[in-house]
Amino acid sequence: MSFKTLVKASFVQTIYFLKNVKAMLITFLLWPYLMLGLILGAGLMFGSTASFRQNIGLNVDPIVFFIASTVVALISISLMWGVAGSVLELRWIGALPYVMLAPHRFSITLVVSYIPNYLLIASLQILEFAPLIILIEGLEIGLLKIAVLFLALIVGMLPLMGFAALFASLLISIKEESNILAWLNPIILLFSGAFYPAYLLPRWAQFISWLLPSTYTIELARLSALIGAPNLSTITFMIGILLGMTVAYNSIASALMGAGERKALREGIIE
Amino acid sequence: MSNRNIAIETVSLVKTYTAYDRIGFFKRVKKRVKALRGVSFKVYKGEVFGLLGPNGAGKTTTVKILSTLLLPDSGDAYILGHHVIHEATKVRKLIGVSLSVERGFFWKLTGRENLKYFGMLYGLDGPELDQRVDELLVMLGLEELGAVNKLYEEYSLGMKARLSIARTLLTDPPVLILDEPTLGLDPPSARCLREMLVQLAHKKSKTVLITTHNMFEAEIICDRVAIIDKGQILAVDTVDGLKRRVADVVPLEITVYLPAQASIEHLTEILKRDTSCPVKIFPEEKGHRIKILSPPDTVDETTSRALKSLYDQKCNVRKVEVKQPSLEDVFIKLTGKTGFR
Repeated sequence: MSFKTLVKASFVQTIYFLKNVKAMLITFLLWPYLMLGLILGAGLMFGSTASFRQNIGLNVDPIVFFIASTVVALISISLMWGVAGSVLELRWIGALPYVMLAPHRFSITLVVSYIPNYLLIASLQILEFAPLIILIEGLEIGLLKIAVLFLALIVGMLPLMGFAALFASLLISIKEESNILAWLNPIILLFSGAFYPAYLLPRWAQFISWLLPSTYTIELARLSALIGAPNLSTITFMIGILLGMTVAYNSIASALMGAGERKALREGIIE
Repeated sequence: MSNRNIAIETVSLVKTYTAYDRIGFFKRVKKRVKALRGVSFKVYKGEVFGLLGPNGAGKTTTVKILSTLLLPDSGDAYILGHHVIHEATKVRKLIGVSLSVERGFFWKLTGRENLKYFGMLYGLDGPELDQRVDELLVMLGLEELGAVNKLYEEYSLGMKARLSIARTLLTDPPVLILDEPTLGLDPPSARCLREMLVQLAHKKSKTVLITTHNMFEAEIICDRVAIIDKGQILAVDTVDGLKRRVADVVPLEITVYLPAQASIEHLTEILKRDTSCPVKIFPEEKGHRIKILSPPDTVDETTSRALKSLYDQKCNVRKVEVKQPSLEDVFIKLTGKTGFR
């Protein structure tokens, strides 16, 4: 039994959804710009782009800065929903038992089957913002920043998947169909510094932000926005942290998912 | 029958659930519910086996354990010799499972797309998958119904049931485990599905385990039946074998209209007292059907006593019939109390 069919299953399922639900496709394409518009609009209500530069302490274009934040934020939310939230969705529609009957570990099914969806969403969102970035930064720097942003999303996906699987293990083992993700996602984004740089948060909040993989993904993504020619050692350092977190979170998630699955099988809540 | 012919075996399965009764806004009381109390039975290869019992008897719990979706507290279960707990992955490749005919698919995908998705999830791919999906859509009559490219959300319950059976057959497994496959279906759809299940067992050599609380269904499609109640197997036999167990009783059926204020429980007690026979009252579309299991030599006396009691209780008697024994009678006799439909 190969992962190929598992990955393919998820890919065709996403394509089927986008094909059958046109509203979903339109929302999917409009969402990034709406989110960016909201963040920029809210920002401009409280201050100018000059004051933003002054607060950040670097000569950075706020639009590019928030594009990077928006892409990572949206993809983090999507990933949390895609991996952890799929447990809820499958339970709601009654398909959870049939997905669990696939001859793979459930954690593997959940995580692996989200990869094509993630790559599709990440690629589409970057493609959507690419003209804007190139328009602001010029072709050469723009492409470089897009490349760093894409790299950040790929490397950032790895620990985030383990992180999302932690919550999937929680969701599978509780009978109440609690929608903990609905309130958890905004908190994660806030502490990750999606809307305000993490280093400007209070000290206790910074401690939490260090534990979140999305913090480093966002920082890595912002390198593309803050620095004209990204510093290789800084990027390597961030990637190192993310890879370390990948091992840590995925190992913990794998163990917890196994425990969550056993608890669910003992208590008979796979339905 | 040798062990080589056993497709499904359960040995002393015990399962207890923890449930909570809410007694206040914050307070709740924990209680233990014994769902299975030592369930043992064997299903032979190529037969349609019915697990027959009322709601809450333990049918779904047994099916979930056999499907590797629930761990028992104790006891063992095997599918084609493979342990459902220790060899769950192997078992999953040998079974096709349907736990509910009305849900379990993606609403925004068509029937074909749903089958292709689950087929890939179960390891099929390429032309093999396409061919299998097409075969099943024809075999289950979904193509004929024009349901192939319809979104699942537009399906009738009958179509959903067919698609659910199609999914169980995707990997062509030798054992099918179906929980109440005809529940909620209209009579023609239910009949069609029953015929398919019998064909799958007798023509395609599948072993089919179905749960049902429909005695008529069990009687017409099952080669053998296990009667389960309160987590215990009461009897396992062929339908004829089970009926022979009630050869010493004659089922007497009286159709009545009860007075508006009548209590079924009270009337049951009165009839039991007056006839000294097992009694069960079934609500019908029009009126109520009373079933009394009378000894053969006292049918007339039992009838007259029952009628007298009913007149005393101001019931309007519409029809009195002496029937052939059915599975329902077996159940009433085995449990000594309720029957079900």
